[in-house]
Amino acid sequence: MNPVKRSPLLLALFAVSTFASAAETTTTADARVAQHYAIGKISTPPGVDPQLGGLALLPDGRLAAAFHHGQVAFYDFKTLSWKIFAEGLHEPLGLLLSKDGSLLVMQRPELTRLRDTDGDGVADRYETLFDDFGMTGNYHEFAFGPVRGPNGKLYVSLNLASAGDTIREEIRGEWSPIGLPREKFYDVADWKKNSTEAGRMYGRVKWRGCIIEIDEASGAAQLFATGFRSPDGMGFDAAGNFFINDNQGDWRGTSPVHVVKRGAFYGHPASLVWRTDWDGSEPLKLPIEKLNALRTVAAINLPHSFYASSPTEMILIPQTPAWGSFGGQLIVGEMNSGRVLRLLPEQVDGVWQGACVSFLDSPALRGGIHRLLFVGDTLYLGRTHLIWAGGEGIGTVKLTKTPFEVLTMHATPHGFRFTFTAPLAAGAAELTRWPVRRYYYKYHEPYGSPQTELTQITPSKVTVSADGLSAEVQFADLKPGFIYDFNLKGLASTQGESPLNPAIAYSLNKVPTK
Amino acid sequence: MRFFHLIVLALTLTSSGIFAQTLPAPKAKAAPAKKPRSVKMFMRDGLRFEPPRFMAEPGEEIVVEIENNDSTDQTHNFVLLRPGTKDSVVQAALALVEKGPGLEYVPPSADVLVHSRLLTAEGSGSIKFTVPTTPGIYPYVCTFPGHGMIMYGALYAGVTPPPIEKDPNIPPMVAQGAVAGGGKRPFTQRIFMPDAGPAAVAIALVGSQNVCWDAGQCRLRYAWQGSFIDASENWAGNGKILPVLSTKPWWRAPKDVFPLRFGAADSAAPHVKFLGYAVTTLGPVFHYRAGETEVYEHVLPAVGRPGIALRLQIPRATGPVFYRAAADPNAQWTSSAGTWQDDVLTLTPAQAADVTLTLTSALCSP
Repeated sequence: MNPVKRSPLLLALFAVSTFASAAETTTTADARVAQHYAIGKISTPPGVDPQLGGLALLPDGRLAAAFHHGQVAFYDFKTLSWKIFAEGLHEPLGLLLSKDGSLLVMQRPELTRLRDTDGDGVADRYETLFDDFGMTGNYHEFAFGPVRGPNGKLYVSLNLASAGDTIREEIRGEWSPIGLPREKFYDVADWKKNSTEAGRMYGRVKWRGCIIEIDEASGAAQLFATGFRSPDGMGFDAAGNFFINDNQGDWRGTSPVHVVKRGAFYGHPASLVWRTDWDGSEPLKLPIEKLNALRTVAAINLPHSFYASSPTEMILIPQTPAWGSFGGQLIVGEMNSGRVLRLLPEQVDGVWQGACVSFLDSPALRGGIHRLLFVGDTLYLGRTHLIWAGGEGIGTVKLTKTPFEVLTMHATPHGFRFTFTAPLAAGAAELTRWPVRRYYYKYHEPYGSPQTELTQITPSKVTVSADGLSAEVQFADLKPGFIYDFNLKGLASTQGESPLNPAIAYSLNKVPTK
Repeated sequence: MRFFHLIVLALTLTSSGIFAQTLPAPKAKAAPAKKPRSVKMFMRDGLRFEPPRFMAEPGEEIVVEIENNDSTDQTHNFVLLRPGTKDSVVQAALALVEKGPGLEYVPPSADVLVHSRLLTAEGSGSIKFTVPTTPGIYPYVCTFPGHGMIMYGALYAGVTPPPIEKDPNIPPMVAQGAVAGGGKRPFTQRIFMPDAGPAAVAIALVGSQNVCWDAGQCRLRYAWQGSFIDASENWAGNGKILPVLSTKPWWRAPKDVFPLRFGAADSAAPHVKFLGYAVTTLGPVFHYRAGETEVYEHVLPAVGRPGIALRLQIPRATGPVFYRAAADPNAQWTSSAGTWQDDVLTLTPAQAADVTLTLTSALCSP
């Protein structure tokens, strides 16, 4: 942005000329997306801040949405109008229809059951289902969820506090004595220095940085997993495996997607103090080797800024004709750009790994894609931003014509097997059409990580199936522990289309033996 | 990527704060410039700028990043003006008539300091400029025909703004909306509150009283009179900035003292468990367990006197119940039942089943 020194009138004219050229790129990209997807929007309730914390579908077919200032409102698709159901909630960041017909909402301080007992269409009971967790009043202690597992249990995730601020004088819940003494948190003049000892993100009150399992009827809760930083997205694949993503930052070289199991630790050490078997040592001071041995690595890494900078809700694409061959795949939203990713996880010899690829990527989707919900054939996108990059309002997406894309990607003993939504054109076996950047992200305390040991590689052999719908890509030295980040823009379908989203990155934790 | 469709306008104001038609050639700067502060500005449904006002230092370099998020597909611009010129510039924009579209409805006027392009729905852009060095209240307005009378805001440069609900420089509807609940009473808002635990509840009672109730500690914390909380800064940020009370509380509960006791007045404070609240036309009825005892606590305006009332319903007390109202020279507690001694109210189980405590003060006005 070069300063321009002109009169207001000339400024306006100047802007016209620069706009024309800048807009062209977008128009082209959007035109391609528009050939395959219809992107639209619905209104948000009048007078309500249009930042979304939760979306859910009601049994009567209405859409329930939770908003930043604390309202929950219902949208009637027939009348295209909103009705406020509840208000005055504290930063609601998740909605789920309960088994008993009430609506569950996760607020900063608690998981709440909203009931309309007199049938007037407005909630009159705000019942606390679960609030047995700590709060320091630090702004970063967001609370996400709930999601319901195949076992019927509810799960919520509790953010760590940020060293961007200290703690409030009055806190709620048990304080862990492990780490920087509490009085140092009140030494505000020296907070910059003290905060480095507190940890870039800290979890000194109960269950911060943890995933909590809750009984839906009684509210009884227990610790489920540790090692999280800012886990906004929780979801399940078609087989019921529990996926949770997290946000790039300290101890997060890039944003990870984990497959989460009871009792396991997923890398951010702050929450280790809340494990019942913890030995009392300061997690931040443990040697990296010890933490590395304790942790379960990410199933899928979302390369920072190239794929996602701040991943959000994860849901399954419905297996309906409307979504074609993408049905049953997991998708994840992203805050910093107008993008939704597909995740292609698989288990290889007991180890989870897999690929991420853009599903939708268009400025027309805007940023801040925080909450996702399929209703009928339409994907609804609830946006937010707070003080970060993002967007506002509720967007809609429909698939109108399946684009040429990588459909699946699997690891093989010598490389990867791809399948496509349409047959590959002749020439796809040329090795130069499959360029790969291979790298990994470091597991360490600093914020983020560079792409490490980055190498540009090409396959040693590519074999395309007779029907053109799949390809085997082999490498001379297939190394585990690396991300294989392909750019397939050189491929074409028999219709002459290049992949709509040509970049796909596979996190290879384990090379299959067969 | 989304910024490919941005309209980027970059310009600098002269240090006098008045946009000159002719400006000196840019001077090469030796030191790398500090990254200007970014201010997000949203255009929203109902012809509104969000935020409706913001503060800046005179002479500060800022980038206003503007997004038109109006879901009703309205076109808007952002035009920053010299103090006191809003109405005349809006009139001048209307007077452009058929010349308007060509000028994107920005009248050629020295009162226009900086402006964005016209932004269609979902369009966005940014303007970099130096805040005038002359302290003042600089209006910003949308000059699209018909919008300017409603759609405006104020940049406070080196001037402290008044409480938002009383700010004459922002639209009256917006001023009202900046107060949580938009003036509705009763209204319950869970939010971070000053001088309370992090699981706090703010309640606007019918009338002019407001209270802070602490859901973490299951007790009343303080009461103030007048306008309800201004949560606009809390909501515009990430929750770090606490809401602002319109006046100083006229009563505060002592810190760390839970008032109810069971069995004996000097028994230990029971462990409390918050269970939620019911919404009534007279405000929320909180429900919690104190020890093993269930309590319903209805916060109400006092009847016939300025102040607040607590209707306590303890349906299954097994012995005497004590309410320890801390001594406060400015506040008087009374109750519909029970006996007072040294600021402690003693209730029989039958009285505790439904009793109303009233708190009044010379510090609050009728």
